[in-house]
Amino acid sequence: MLQIIKIEWLKVKNYRTFWVFIALGLLAMLAPNFIIHDIFVKNIPQEAQKLLGQSMYDYPLVWQTVASVNSYTSGIFSLLLITLVSNEFNYRTHRQNIIDGWDRKDFVLSKLFWVVSLALLALITSLVAVIIFGSIYGKSPFSMENSRFLCYYFLQVLVSLCLALLVSMLIKRTGLAIILFLGYIMFIEQILVSVVKRFFGDVGGLLPLQAGDELLPFPMVEKLVKFSGPYDTTVYLAALAAYVILFVWLVFRRMLRTDL
Amino acid sequence: MSTILSLNNISKRYSSVQALDGVSFDIPAGSVFGILGPNGSGKTTLLGIVTDVLKADAGTFTVMDETPSAAQRRKIGTLLETPNFYHYLSAYKNLQIVANIKQQSEADIPRVLELAGLTARQHSAFKTYSLGMKQRLAIASAMLGNPEVLILDEPANGLDPVGIAEVRTLIRQLAQAGKTIIMASHLLDEVEKVCTHVAILRKGKLLGSGPVNAVLSRDNFIEIGSADTQALAQLIRKHPAFAQVLPGQEGILQVTFTQAIDPAALNNWCAQQGLWLSHLQMSRKSLETAFLELTNN
Repeated sequence: MLQIIKIEWLKVKNYRTFWVFIALGLLAMLAPNFIIHDIFVKNIPQEAQKLLGQSMYDYPLVWQTVASVNSYTSGIFSLLLITLVSNEFNYRTHRQNIIDGWDRKDFVLSKLFWVVSLALLALITSLVAVIIFGSIYGKSPFSMENSRFLCYYFLQVLVSLCLALLVSMLIKRTGLAIILFLGYIMFIEQILVSVVKRFFGDVGGLLPLQAGDELLPFPMVEKLVKFSGPYDTTVYLAALAAYVILFVWLVFRRMLRTDL
Repeated sequence: MSTILSLNNISKRYSSVQALDGVSFDIPAGSVFGILGPNGSGKTTLLGIVTDVLKADAGTFTVMDETPSAAQRRKIGTLLETPNFYHYLSAYKNLQIVANIKQQSEADIPRVLELAGLTARQHSAFKTYSLGMKQRLAIASAMLGNPEVLILDEPANGLDPVGIAEVRTLIRQLAQAGKTIIMASHLLDEVEKVCTHVAILRKGKLLGSGPVNAVLSRDNFIEIGSADTQALAQLIRKHPAFAQVLPGQEGILQVTFTQAIDPAALNNWCAQQGLWLSHLQMSRKSLETAFLELTNN
């Protein structure tokens, strides 16, 4: 596996697009918290603040706030993953890697390395964001209470990346894969959730990205509207884990069986 | 002589096209083995199966008498179809990736770049290369780690005449060094100059395989001509060693005999029969003629 990681590093270390995506991803995970703080904390009247109780950036609420905010922006890492995978198909280097001596499963493992790495990067960045914004904007002392929200966030990012991997393996063309993926996360799944919830009930909340959203309600809005789902947390966690397994299995199945 | 690659009843179908149909042959170690066939005959499909980028519908093959594996592919230098590299990386950095996949030392990269004549441009991005340079880089990549077996699919593709001659010389040098070279090509001139063995494919079927002269029979023939071609054609059939008249150009007969014929004796025999030859030349059937005869039948 170390050899695979070294080879993946050689592929990206001089690839400018990769570094632009990483910088954008990090920026997109930190910057919105400044804006959210300005809108929901700084500019909110003192009376309203009292009614709402604890500030969103006070511990322990800051864990949920950062996880919820970042769950909207970390899709950039999925777009990076789609670019990395579909580059291989465009340049036909996926074939060459096999011809030169990789097993087909090595190729999948090389991309799963990016899935895990990008998910960990999102998790670590969010952790840093919690510490930064919790100490700058928060008035309560550090607390690990509610840190579970970052674990939910990590799982949601993992599902999103696995879905991106599957889409790029199936579609192979960068532009089309990105459009389809963006379409799915931006509105296709929302439509599906609405339709399934209407005709089949709460099970609609178990669709891949929605299951994560149900675990990561936005703190302040949560007080006004009931956002979190009717199922127990473990049901959503099990659904997320099942999606990761399903998507990875489909990727392996595709890569191991088809002509390249 | 041991066997490098042994194919057993390999078949592959693309929807309505039977790309390979029960192909079986062996490639002996140390041979320069040409896989010949017209476009669409299944050459690249066959090599794709051997390198695991395509899956056979039926059949098996062994590499160096073992079940094929990634570890074996690392010991084989392969150029399959087009050169495939990361466009944004330089030649050197692309070869670093190949060296790491092959688990070979990066110290060999300067040697293969020099061999391919790319040392001066080794730090230029692949996307800035001409077609010929891309092909040279693919050959350099196949040579990394000095493998004992090379698979070269149309190695002269995109090269200028100097490049083609260089590749031919390189293949000869490798063959002399005892390497096994498996080469798919439709350039019969190339094959004639370098191959020791061939397999001929047509529409996915194997027409024959083995040493070049055994598969593509190229008997000596004699070209004869006279003022009266029709009379000569009738006369030559009466020669005691006559075998057949080959299709040839107008006014000239290409004749094969059942035994070696001395041109002077033939000239003398014709004169004794009252016909004077105006043209007499010993010739050998070209590989192209032999190939076309085989693939058109």
